[in-house]
Amino acid sequence: MVSNVSKIEIRGLRASYGDRVVLEDVSLDVHEGEILAIIGPAGAGKTSLLNCINRMSDMIPGMKVEGSIRIDGRDVRDFRDPSEIRRRIGVVFPLPVGLPMSIFDNVAFAPRMGGMRDKKKLAELVERCLCQAALFDEVKDRLGDLGTRLSGGQQQRLTIARALSLEPEILCLDEFSIAVDPVTTMKIEEVIKELKQRMTIILITNLVLQARRLGDRTALFLGGRLVEVDSTETIFSRQTADVRTFQYVQGLFG
Amino acid sequence: MNAALPFSTTDVTRTNRRRESIVRALLGIVTALLVLPLLAILALLVKHGAPALTLDFLLSSPAAGMTAGGIFPAIVGTLWLVGVSLAIAAPIGVLAAIYLNEYAGDHWGTRIVNLAIVNLAGVPSIVHALFGVGAFVLFLHLGTSILSASLTLAIMTLPVIIASTKEALAAVPMSFRQACWVLGASRWQTIRYVVLPNSIQGILTGVILQVSRAAGETAPVMFTGAAFYLPFLPQSVNDQCMALSMHLFTLSTQVPGVPEALPYATALVLVGLVMSVNLTSILLRSYLRSRRRW
Repeated sequence: MVSNVSKIEIRGLRASYGDRVVLEDVSLDVHEGEILAIIGPAGAGKTSLLNCINRMSDMIPGMKVEGSIRIDGRDVRDFRDPSEIRRRIGVVFPLPVGLPMSIFDNVAFAPRMGGMRDKKKLAELVERCLCQAALFDEVKDRLGDLGTRLSGGQQQRLTIARALSLEPEILCLDEFSIAVDPVTTMKIEEVIKELKQRMTIILITNLVLQARRLGDRTALFLGGRLVEVDSTETIFSRQTADVRTFQYVQGLFG
Repeated sequence: MNAALPFSTTDVTRTNRRRESIVRALLGIVTALLVLPLLAILALLVKHGAPALTLDFLLSSPAAGMTAGGIFPAIVGTLWLVGVSLAIAAPIGVLAAIYLNEYAGDHWGTRIVNLAIVNLAGVPSIVHALFGVGAFVLFLHLGTSILSASLTLAIMTLPVIIASTKEALAAVPMSFRQACWVLGASRWQTIRYVVLPNSIQGILTGVILQVSRAAGETAPVMFTGAAFYLPFLPQSVNDQCMALSMHLFTLSTQVPGVPEALPYATALVLVGLVMSVNLTSILLRSYLRSRRRW
């Protein structure tokens, strides 16, 4: 449930690749149990922000991160092993990625890497995650088929099921609907509303109306800076603090 | 006026069409010509060598001052050399390629290593042979032995194994790795469970192709471990051995009075060996294509 307790606190975040600064002076809180929608044009720094939060920035050659990001009060850079953080944050990429293994193994991958061996527990977990991602009914008779052979929309739901397999506290969806048809998008949006009961969700989206439908709060990024963050209602009203927010959500530029 | 009629054939399109068919024929002929040398070589070898190619030839030792008998010790020796050199080069090459492709970033250190690999691949085999004599036979006191010769062959094949392995690894999409990393899998887990299972056939293909190269080279083994003639089979890597490529050189140039069929039959066996290894790699590759998983 939405509370005012901060799940993630970002303070003075700056990220750069060599001379190119992609995030500058970003301070932002993500509240426990909310859906925070992040909107902004390409190159606004939305995905870079995500890479900083789960420390995928470690894997990107030349990426430098300054400032602090705290999850439950603990700085993400205090974790010696970044996989500890990544196991707590589920991530869904813009383009669906089915791993080249069976549907079952796709979902069981992360738990297995974490040391889970119990076949019965794994089977239960896989079924539960596929159900949560609204995919189970379509694939229940062919869990042994390759995940890469599913359709794009099915693969995206498989990716969501995989992201849920570690029972994360935070789920980040990065423009999940970019390669998915409208009907599947609606299916996934219903899934997201369900999941909100159990976890904090960051929804990066190019679709302004999607932010309006799903976001408890909405943040606008432009050119690597946070322009404004407020309740979605306010962002989509005439009372925005920054005139650019009003213009952006009205489709007057960008 | 032609221009008034849509879709009418103009002089320009007619000229273009004619040129198109000339170029196409030319390119096709040149490509077809490539098969000729191979067919000619095979035909020559079969014509002169086939009469001498008997089971006895394959399974007996040379006799009567190499002017009679078979090539059994040379076949065994070649298998030893290829096997030992591969046992050295394949693991080192594959591990180095994994490091270069999956762990090392792009900086001056790895650029130097990559440059070294490319240049090592370009070193002529006779230079490898001299290095082998200096480093393994003399400096490390390994003597002229299977071990020295295999180490020399290994150094010769290493750069190509590294390059082909890197290529096979790079063919696995980056998105697979990222998907694993965000799930909390470590680099090694990602390599072990996703990257290697999906590149292993490509890696094997590259390694197998180096088998045929190691089997055919003469210079690197000539001074380091291959003997003109040995009455016994090698018992360990410290022994010398005969080799098919070396034996062919000996029969053709060093021994007088060898019947013509003997070197041809030896060459036929060597070429047959190399071609069957290559065939294995082609079959492996088509198998790999048939079970691509993305």
